[in-house]
Amino acid sequence: MLKQKSNNQTSAASKPLIPDLEESLAHIRSTMGDSSDLVIRPMVIHKTSAAVLFMDGLVDMNAVQDFILDALMHEMSSKRVSSHQLYLTIKESSLPIGEMEEIETYKELFDKLLSGETIVLIEKQKKALSASTKGWRDRGVQETTSESVIRGPKEAFTETLRTNTALLRRKIKDPALRVEPKKIGRKTHTDVAVVYLEGTAETEVIEDVMRRLDQIDIDGVLEGGYIEEFMQDAQYSPFPTVYNSEKPDAIAGGILEGRIAIITDGTPNVLLVPALFVNFMQSSEDYYQRSDISTFIRILRLFCFFVALFMPSLYIAFTTFHQEMLPAPLLISLAAQREGVPFPALVEALMMELTFEVLREAGIRLPKPVGSAVSIVGALVLGQSAVQAGLVSPAMVIVVALTAISSFVFPAYNMAISVRILRFPMMMLAASFGLYGIILGMIAMVLHLCSLKSFNKPYMSPFAPFIPKDQKDVLVRFPHWGLLSRPSSLTKKDQKRVDSTSKER
Amino acid sequence: MIVMKRGIFFKVSAAALCLLLLTGCWNSKDLDKLGIVVAMGIDKTDDDQYLLVTQVINPSEIATEAPTTRPPVSTYSTTGETIFEAFRKLASESSRDMYLAQLRLLVIGEDLAEEGMMSSLDLFYRDHQFRTAFYVAVARDTDVNTLLSILTPYEKIPANKLMSAIEAVEQSHGSSKGVRIDELISQIRNKGQNPVITGLLKEGPSDTGNNITNIENIDAPSNLTIDHLGVLKDDRLVGWLDDEASRGYNYILGNVKSSVVTHPCTDGTASIEILRTQSNMDAVFKGGEPSIAIELDVEGNVGELDCPIDLGEADSLKDLNKETEKEIKRLMETSIQISQDDYGIDIFGFGSVIHRKNPKYWKTVEDDWDTHFKELDVDIQVKAELRRKGNSTQPIKKEG
Repeated sequence: MLKQKSNNQTSAASKPLIPDLEESLAHIRSTMGDSSDLVIRPMVIHKTSAAVLFMDGLVDMNAVQDFILDALMHEMSSKRVSSHQLYLTIKESSLPIGEMEEIETYKELFDKLLSGETIVLIEKQKKALSASTKGWRDRGVQETTSESVIRGPKEAFTETLRTNTALLRRKIKDPALRVEPKKIGRKTHTDVAVVYLEGTAETEVIEDVMRRLDQIDIDGVLEGGYIEEFMQDAQYSPFPTVYNSEKPDAIAGGILEGRIAIITDGTPNVLLVPALFVNFMQSSEDYYQRSDISTFIRILRLFCFFVALFMPSLYIAFTTFHQEMLPAPLLISLAAQREGVPFPALVEALMMELTFEVLREAGIRLPKPVGSAVSIVGALVLGQSAVQAGLVSPAMVIVVALTAISSFVFPAYNMAISVRILRFPMMMLAASFGLYGIILGMIAMVLHLCSLKSFNKPYMSPFAPFIPKDQKDVLVRFPHWGLLSRPSSLTKKDQKRVDSTSKER
Repeated sequence: MIVMKRGIFFKVSAAALCLLLLTGCWNSKDLDKLGIVVAMGIDKTDDDQYLLVTQVINPSEIATEAPTTRPPVSTYSTTGETIFEAFRKLASESSRDMYLAQLRLLVIGEDLAEEGMMSSLDLFYRDHQFRTAFYVAVARDTDVNTLLSILTPYEKIPANKLMSAIEAVEQSHGSSKGVRIDELISQIRNKGQNPVITGLLKEGPSDTGNNITNIENIDAPSNLTIDHLGVLKDDRLVGWLDDEASRGYNYILGNVKSSVVTHPCTDGTASIEILRTQSNMDAVFKGGEPSIAIELDVEGNVGELDCPIDLGEADSLKDLNKETEKEIKRLMETSIQISQDDYGIDIFGFGSVIHRKNPKYWKTVEDDWDTHFKELDVDIQVKAELRRKGNSTQPIKKEG
């Protein structure tokens, strides 16, 4: 109901095609406002007027030239036939194009035309033909820039939906791999594909994803982030409940675990749901390196999570409230460093943390050649000079540096963001109540985390609820021959992964 | 719906604002506002007031790459009706809040110790800032103020020097023992054992120690040393044990972790390095009268040999074992003898052993245990076993 009311324009456009060619073309032109990239090529085939329409730049010009214009203008048999006969001939035998559809309304026509298909209109016909000639300049499959790995595939998704589904198909050559199309965005008509393994992903989750996608009514979707914010469970939580990656292997791995990928046309970042807390602590490389080092790295990441979150607040708490908890030599050394620093520890810490955030943001935004200048300014001016000028204590610089490095450890950027944000309230709590405040903050955080759900899966599983069977691939990564079943916190279907005899020799 | 949400939003932000504005941070203290107290000294003045000496560190002088001529520690001394009053008077002398959790050492003046120290220890046990892990010692033959004003070479913080010296003496010689405040107080309260206490000595002339020139010399003229154990009757200092008696005391209680025993052997001396001791104390009742049996197992190495023994021979180690046993037994007996005859005070906790063994009997002697202690029979069994002879089996002398 709502949808139709707001979609006045669309419903106007969804009227059936006008049989009269001239009138029809006039309607198309006026709807498109005489756009300069709309190409209309009128022609006469055996005395019947026809027209070929396409958008310049969105089509593969060679395909249009060789397989449509050539075929229609040169290779049609010269026998005169009726308009309807002509239409059937073209539809059935004349266009050597793989993907072809009949269209009956202007809505369909514009959808196809604007996504790069070529339309063939024939006088006196209520239907038109649309041939898939999509082909525009894209980046091609390149190396990933945001999630680099030492070992493992380095390719990344691109901005083109079709390329991305192909990348997934190449990883999972199973007929059960479903790619379900959706269109979201009243103006952008963005193609979205929901990819999952039929029989592995849980039906309820698939239905839930579809329902949430169908609910979205927005004028435009330019990136997966638009969709993520509409479909995530915890709207006001600092923690992400939708995973995203630009690495096909990471997404394929997720699909194999019974999760559902959502590819949005126009962005290389593919969403993956349900997403649990532990998923953000894991990298696809964990599965390519040996299991012992992967286990070590996973535990290290968890440690870094706590360092990144609590280090500055612990520094504040220890130096302003709990000096008795520091060993004497450390206390003396810290006291000597604090000597002459004009700010209280909280202000000192906030100042340095904010400076670091500013530096980080500046480093990302600036063009690469200038970016290095920022790091020099940051390292030299702020690290060295601020200490020498006596504005901050050297220990604070170490704390900030450690925090920063630790927050770079997470494979998932969006989890690092939550940690960055939560750090500040933690610092406030530490400055107001000391360790007591930190513990209060931590309890609140744990309660919140345990209350979260991602597509009806408990966010903290397999820790809370504790699932012993799933521990094989959380903190510890068992060797692949030991990963016998799929994580049951993600899917209960099709549990078997590895046959237990496959290690025998 | 929206109105309700806005209400929640306002409430939350108001609460958050309060959190920022109204926090008292009531016990928040920045590090640079604190004076870290490492040692305290208490004594009585002539007009019967408490004297409190506080040694505060000067952090920037300790952890620095470019030390100036300012001393690494400063002392403040104040007097007051009570120690707490004297402590609060510090505010008029020092610019900083005194921070007590890192206290290393409490030095008690000899006068106060002889008079009874229990009442003055109350603050140190009651106040929440103190940890109960600092050492208590008595300044022997010096006043507290002078003792705490001595700058020590090598170790910048005198209190740290004293503390590590107490621990070193306890662990590698056994001629003294560190006594922590909780231990001291529980022993004062215990009827079956009287406490001992560490003594601190000042060496050198009295007027040079508190000057930075003291530590500009290679061999600092004034220095602090750890003395033997003082004997306390309840909470009053009554006298001192000598070196041998102190060591004997530590052997009896099994405190010795490592030490050296020197005894004569044919034409010279032998030094045995003690590596491990295990002491076992038990009460034995014979005909209603108690006696104490002490068993001590000692493990050691041959440390230094100055007599013509061939360690290659099978019996030579046995002889050394016997000599060691004899020497250790002598130390222990000396210690018991001094405490029985000279002081008449049970510092070994024999009373507690009897209490545990036979509580009924203990009830009858509890009140005048010290008189019973003087008559107590103590049987000492020492069993020494030397493990290693070192790198040579013969003394160097024999070669030439």
